[in-house]
Amino acid sequence: MPASFEQAITLAGDLHARPAGALAVAAGRFAAAIEVTAGGHTADAKSVLGVMGLGATSGQHVTVSAAGPDAQEAVAALIAVLSEATKVAGP
Amino acid sequence: MSTATVGIVLVSHSAELAEGAANLAAQVSGGTVTIVAAGGTDDGRLGTSAAKVERALRQADHGAGVMVLPDLGSAVLVVKAVLEDFSDPGSVLLADGPFVEGAVAATVTAAAGGDLKAVAAAAEEARHARKL
Repeated sequence: MPASFEQAITLAGDLHARPAGALAVAAGRFAAAIEVTAGGHTADAKSVLGVMGLGATSGQHVTVSAAGPDAQEAVAALIAVLSEATKVAGP
Repeated sequence: MSTATVGIVLVSHSAELAEGAANLAAQVSGGTVTIVAAGGTDDGRLGTSAAKVERALRQADHGAGVMVLPDLGSAVLVVKAVLEDFSDPGSVLLADGPFVEGAVAATVTAAAGGDLKAVAAAAEEARHARKL
């Protein structure tokens, strides 16, 4: 049973194309299976199209969950990316 | 990451479409991947150019291979013809996916360190992504 971790964040901005890209690039560097959940929908964090398809907006609650050998580091890294990338204005 | 990233070649009948898709994919992926646009004919009309595709393949390869994404069917013919005479066809994968979504998904996968097969798979899987 691999370790699994989960953390939530309230978005400071919309999850547009650029922050979604930053999230998926960061996620792709981990071995763990990582999911992003927003508004009742879940996407593979490594799929930029899936993350964009969530249509998550400013003020929304987003959960990052991961399972696998580097799950803890993955969740911490992706929460940091979500916190930073959604502060930047623009698409 | 010490290893080279996979390069991307976008082949479109329109130079503007290829450039635009390349710009969008670069912005979304953080600008770390080489994306070369090969759009339009040699004299600037709508169409595809074998010379442009061949140049783009050489420019995009940094040692990890190149994924080529065509926009419409007849661009595939030009890419296939170029690959027949290409010095290292094994380093190139032609992907069958939607042009914009495939370019973005493939570039993000390359930026994350994905290998040539993973990058091409990302472009092909893009056909299943829902926008609504």
